[in-house]
This record gives sequence, structure tokens and C-alpha cells, in this order.
Amino acid sequence: MHLTPEEQATGRRNFLRAVAGVPVLAGLGAASLARGPIAGGPVRIGYIGVGGEGRVLLGSTDKAYAHVVAMADINPAQLAVADGVLEKGGHAKATHYSEWREMIEKESLEGVVIATPLWTHADIVVGCLESGLHVLCEKMMAWDVEGCERMRATARRTGKVLEIGYQRNYSTVYQAAHEGLVKAGVLGDVFLARLAWHRNGNWRRTGDPPAANYDPSKWGYPSWEHLLNWRLYKKYSRGLLAELASHQVNISNWFFGAEPEAVIGTGGIYRFKDGREVDDHVYATFEYPGGRTAVFSTIESNAFDRNYEVFYGTKATLLLQGESEAYLFEEGTATPSAARPTGIDVQPKTAGPALSASESRAADAAGRPATGGAAGTSAERLAAYRAEVSGFCSAVRTGSPLLCGPDRAIGSAVACITAVDAVAGKTRLPIRIGPAVQS
Amino acid sequence: MTASRRQGIALVVLRTLIGWHFLYEGYYKLVLPAWSTAGAPLPAWSAGGYLRAATGPLAPAFQLLASSSLAGWIDVGVPIALVLIGLSLMLGLFTTRGCQGAVLLLALFYLAAIPLDGVARPGAEGTYLIVNKTLVELGAACVLLASRTGAIAGLDLLRARPAPATPLQPNVSG
Repeated sequence: MHLTPEEQATGRRNFLRAVAGVPVLAGLGAASLARGPIAGGPVRIGYIGVGGEGRVLLGSTDKAYAHVVAMADINPAQLAVADGVLEKGGHAKATHYSEWREMIEKESLEGVVIATPLWTHADIVVGCLESGLHVLCEKMMAWDVEGCERMRATARRTGKVLEIGYQRNYSTVYQAAHEGLVKAGVLGDVFLARLAWHRNGNWRRTGDPPAANYDPSKWGYPSWEHLLNWRLYKKYSRGLLAELASHQVNISNWFFGAEPEAVIGTGGIYRFKDGREVDDHVYATFEYPGGRTAVFSTIESNAFDRNYEVFYGTKATLLLQGESEAYLFEEGTATPSAARPTGIDVQPKTAGPALSASESRAADAAGRPATGGAAGTSAERLAAYRAEVSGFCSAVRTGSPLLCGPDRAIGSAVACITAVDAVAGKTRLPIRIGPAVQS
Repeated sequence: MTASRRQGIALVVLRTLIGWHFLYEGYYKLVLPAWSTAGAPLPAWSAGGYLRAATGPLAPAFQLLASSSLAGWIDVGVPIALVLIGLSLMLGLFTTRGCQGAVLLLALFYLAAIPLDGVARPGAEGTYLIVNKTLVELGAACVLLASRTGAIAGLDLLRARPAPATPLQPNVSG
């Protein structure tokens, strides 16, 4: 969504004025009246999966909070790159493993950070929890509802920490917006949220296998192409709904204080008919209790709108853009005509597929508005990642509250898994989340 | 209650308070690295920062200590000394030694950071010129040392009590 410079200044000023003085992290600081320090050094963790997203988390790991003891990845080339990330962060060298089970058996770990392809989440998370480890698992929670439920049940039974990596929950911008605006009723009644994630790229990665005779079949991938581009195949991935929408539905669930009851979907493979199995254009409408609706769209043919969440209230509109920018407009102060993208230049699309890291990073969109303030946006996003990993370690060591534990994360996961089916059938489906979801 | 008894109680209370202060200071340093209840990691304790920031006429000597081979021993020795002194004062055990240790450590702490500029320092909770809370506590420890409070209350009373006479063994030799 594009705003004029005047609208940006006004919206930002309104937002800051509205959230001034909000004790964003007060909950984290709540403590008993008299209590000394809690013994223990940095949490001893291992990384399972150090591809692009794993390395973002690895680079966001503060050595005061965590000691990275070991890393496991089925691709040795990823481990070599991860060594550089560790060194850059001032960490000592970690032991390498190709098998995560061997890592958790041999190393003295307290927790693991999991950033592997979606279809593996449930088995790895459950295996680690059963082994007595705390887990920070990258989103989405699991490939299917059964996997989500299994993860949540195991976390409850073992009493171990299970945090799902939706970094927006750790963003001070989102926390301030929720505490200072949504909870305070500044927006009035909100009946519509618009969730958009628009990119202009084919999402296909290119790269050579780590060795000529590298065979990923023993891990379930029939070819190197399937491992490299697992996001494009249904066996391993839930496509754009898992990689992008689940972030934003997680936010609408948080801000609405509810989970959606039904979803209407449509979409398809309209542009990149290159053998992929997941859609490149997806549109989903999530129906919440009380007549509230979140409308999500993601397209891979135009990056003009980038990504944003907008909450339209009877008193004001809140725009959260690019994971870091926040704007507030009181009803009647921003005219529709003023919101036209007049005078905003758009950089030409950069060539090539997305090569690195998180699907939630703007770089993957292969197209970016010149006025986006990419450096500041990136810094804010990385700060959220850093807070996420540190928050996980704090929860392990001190029992500080989770910001996106399984009870919250499962709402977004089940909604998006159901949306995959709704899009495939171009139909409306009820969303059935287990009764224990409400937290 | 006589004035002398009230003074005795006050002195023992003062000794207990100073003892707790020493004990917790030592315990806290020993338990680090640790985590705050708010979830933030607390790094291992070192006297290095305090010594390097020393002010006053003896500052060069303290700064030299920070970079000497003794630094590691200081980091271990100071917390242990604090704990032992704290236990001594709280329990009233070897009270004179405990008071002497307290006076020695407080004197060193004071000499390492004598407030001579008379302005508020960042992070300090007050404004001091020559007299600060360390010096006041040093004075209180001197009072305790002079008052021999171990003879008023504490485990020293048990140590000072004469051992009971050994009962005569019955003659079993027949």
C-alpha cells in the first residue's frame, strides 16, 4: 500500500502519539516481589536446518542468551555457510551433523531451533520434545492439522517450551499497536482486515548440489530439485498460504482476539506453469466471529503493494507495512484520493529468483518501492528475529511467557491448512480448531 | 528494659543487617552468570570494572591490580570473603574476625572510589562528597567491632561457654 510522504508523516505521528507510554514488554518484566537471580549460563542449543531461514535465526542468536553447540543439516554446503554466520556473530565453532537424531543423542543440549521444510516439522519437534529438549520451531507449525495437534499435545505432556517462529509477535511495532491501539479501543470496532503479500518473482531457486553424487532420496526427496525447491511441491509444502499468509493470519487472530470460523478461497497456478504444484496466485477470505473478516491476497506477478496488514475500524485505520512501518489514520482524515501512489517511483524488477532465506523478507519479492526504507525495515525485522530467539532462551531458563506458543500458533496453522483446501476447491470451508486452542 | 539491653539489641540488629548485605552481595556474585527474573542474562561477575574505574589517590594501585595476575584470584576471593563475613555477622560466629573482615573490605571499597567531586554520578542513587554509604557502613562495622556483639547474641556464646565437666567413669574393673 502506497502513501504520499505527507500521509506517511501524519500516519506515523498519529501512531506514535497513540502508543506513547505503552509498556510494551511489561508482561515480560513481571516478577515476584523479592527474588534473586536464576542460576545458569547461556542456553545450550542446537540448530536443525541451517538453510536460508535457519541462518537468519542463527545470525540473530545472541551469545549472551544461547551457546550454539551443534548444527544439523542434510546439506553439508549449508553447514559450511552457517559456520561463517556463527563466526560473524562471535560464536565458537559448532559441531556438524547430517542427522538431527544423532545430534540430540550425542550432544548435551537444552533446546533446539528447527528451520527445516514444513513437512518435517511435526516429527522433528515431537522427537526433540520427547527427548527432553525445548523447541523453537520456524513457522508454519506443521504440514497438517494432525501434526499441529501432535506437537501441541507433546509440548503439554512433556512440559517443555514450544515456541513457533512468528517473529512479528516479537516486533515492538506490533506489540505497541496491539497494546496501545487495538486493546485500548482506539480503532473502534474493526470489521475488516486486509492482508496482502504481493511479489513479482517465480519463487524458484537455483543452485548446485553439494556434490555431484549427492543423493537426497534417503531423506524423502527424489531429486536435488525437490530438496532445493521444496516450497513448490505439495508433498513438502503448503505453498504461499503457509509461507506468507500464516504470518498475517497469526496477526489478525492476535488483533481480533479470535480464530476464523470459515474460509473462502480461490487461486491457481496462473503465471508460472513450470511444473510446480503450489499456486502462484492465492486469494482467501477468513470469516471471524462477530461479522469480522480478513481478506488475504498474494500474487507473484506484481510487487507494487509489497506486504501489509490493515485494520479498518469505525474510529481509525491502522496500517502495518513491511513488518516495520506503522501508520494510524483517524476516520475522515485521510481521503481516498490522497492515498493514490502519486509521485512514488518503483524500481524495476531485479532479475532472478529469490535465492536466500525467509519468504517473509522483502528481498524475495524481487521488486521493491524506492520509498520503502529497506535498511530500516530490515533492521526492525532482524531485531524481531533477535528478540524471538532471545525470548525463547529466556522462556527456557526463567519461564518467561511465550509470545507465540502452540495454542496461539495452531490457530493460524489450521486456518491456513484449511484455506489450502478451500483454494483448491474454490469453495467455502469451515475451520475446525480443537477446543483447547483458546489461551 | 534497660538502656544497656536496648543498645545490645540494636547492635545485634545492626550486625544482622550488615551481615545480610555482605552475604547477598557475595552470593549474587558467586551465582553469576545467571538470569534476571525478567528473562535477561546476567554475565559473570568480575572486579575488573570496579578496579579499572577506581578514583582517588590510590586509583593507580587498584588499576594495576585489575591488570595483574591477581585479577582472577580477586574475582574468586572477594565473593567468598563476602559470603563468609556475611555468615559470620548474621550467625554471630567468630564475630570479631567477621567485623575485622568487614572493616577491611569496606575500607578497600571506599578507598577505590572516594567521592571527591561532590556531584551525582550516572547510576548512583545519591550525591556524595567524601562521605558515602560505603563509609557509613564502614563506620557501623567499626562500631560492631568495638562492641564485641558476639558476647551479646550469636553462636559465639556457645563457643565461649565452658565445656561441661566430664562425669566420673564408674569403676568397672571390680
